[in-house]
Amino acid sequence: MNKISIPIGPQHPLLKEPLTMNIDISGERVLGGTLRLGYVHRGIERLAQQKTYVQNVHLIERICGICSHVHTTTFCHAVETLLGIDVPIRAQYIRALMCELERVHSHLLWLGIIAKHVGLDTIFMHTWHDRELALDIMEEVSGGRVSHAANQIGGVRFDLSQEQEAMIRKTVNDLSDKANTLMDVIENEPVLQARTKGVAPLSAETIKNYCVVGPVARASGVDVDMRRDHPPPPYDRLTFNVITRQDGDAWARTVVRAEETRETLKLCHTILDEMPDGPVSVRAPRKVPEGEVVVRSEAPRGELLYYLRSDGSENPARLKVRTPTLPALNLIPKQLSAIHVADIPVVMAGVDLCIACADR
Amino acid sequence: MSILKAVINAFRKTPDTVKYPYGPLVIPKGFRGAIVIDTEKCSGCGLCVRDCPAAGLELIKESRQDYQLIHYPARCAYCGQCEDSCARGAISHSNDLVEPTYDSDEWVVVLKHQSGD
Repeated sequence: MNKISIPIGPQHPLLKEPLTMNIDISGERVLGGTLRLGYVHRGIERLAQQKTYVQNVHLIERICGICSHVHTTTFCHAVETLLGIDVPIRAQYIRALMCELERVHSHLLWLGIIAKHVGLDTIFMHTWHDRELALDIMEEVSGGRVSHAANQIGGVRFDLSQEQEAMIRKTVNDLSDKANTLMDVIENEPVLQARTKGVAPLSAETIKNYCVVGPVARASGVDVDMRRDHPPPPYDRLTFNVITRQDGDAWARTVVRAEETRETLKLCHTILDEMPDGPVSVRAPRKVPEGEVVVRSEAPRGELLYYLRSDGSENPARLKVRTPTLPALNLIPKQLSAIHVADIPVVMAGVDLCIACADR
Repeated sequence: MSILKAVINAFRKTPDTVKYPYGPLVIPKGFRGAIVIDTEKCSGCGLCVRDCPAAGLELIKESRQDYQLIHYPARCAYCGQCEDSCARGAISHSNDLVEPTYDSDEWVVVLKHQSGD
């Protein structure tokens, strides 16, 4: 049968963000494909060198629309390390709580997308409804649904009142019930299993060769989580389970993210239980001493790495961001072989695309 | 069975969507809406302009007693940095929604005009 090349994107209903794929097919079989990135490159790393550290907190927040808080947390942690200031413990816990809520809403969003791609619109609507509860908490405490502007160098900008803590506990309890129901539905859903089991499996060796991190790696048995392996504060004081699976297929990725949602909600309770009283920020100087630092944290999609070099001025001399999605995107052409055309959306969604993060 | 339970619950509850603009709109207390200024407190020091990440504020200063503080709502990122930077608590976000505009370049709000006369 003749080989046909289908261009998909940069604007296409399958894609939530711009990306071009050229997929070679022969009948119903996919032979291979190539990717083209760079449509949402905004030159943020270069722009960061022209802005002050204070301004950069807000610039960095706009790298991603889903995991915006973990970006600013990692950046602020890098600056605070260079400054040598100790962030108040309560501020560390509030940062961690926001990071975990972000993980919940990111995973629920992804579960909705994978369900939508296999034709389960009911699960899509339920997960996206539940995701709104996590967003509601973040909007209530920070004032922003997507751009929370919660962090500042030296701590966080707001404290949690007792009423807000009670509201968060109640909503997290509701979300836990919903996550249990969702897990029950996912585990017993024959359509989802039929469409994802055995689709585009990735071995642990491939994952390591491509330097892939996060839930995609954990679904292939690579036990890596920065919150446990190199814990930024306060994760060194928190206990939680890292969810892994061995199969490495689209089903394993679905189960890892669904289980992680439940585990993250438990962690939210732990954070609220262990959160001490006290101040939420300390005054930080505007000029950062000369030096360089590497800070790592666990974003919803995997390890996030920030390299920051200071020349002693108010602006960074160099800021390098390594997001977890770029290596995962490299896996797509590899996965686009020996699958059916109908599996393309499952493969595309499987790595949890975030082109804004990858392009920066 | 779980999905059946969810379907039954869906019949019982009301829609989650807000009936905007005819129904009440609940805006969180910390919502960062339109910029407002207390002209009595503002001294024209320019700290808010210095820290604004989006060039949304401009200070045209002739002298200590003669200056204009200008806000460009279409450029503003509504991040709240000006509120944080202001030492006198003069500039802040209100809870009001920002109106849309057709001509963003011409959208200029003079927050304070201090004349030296």
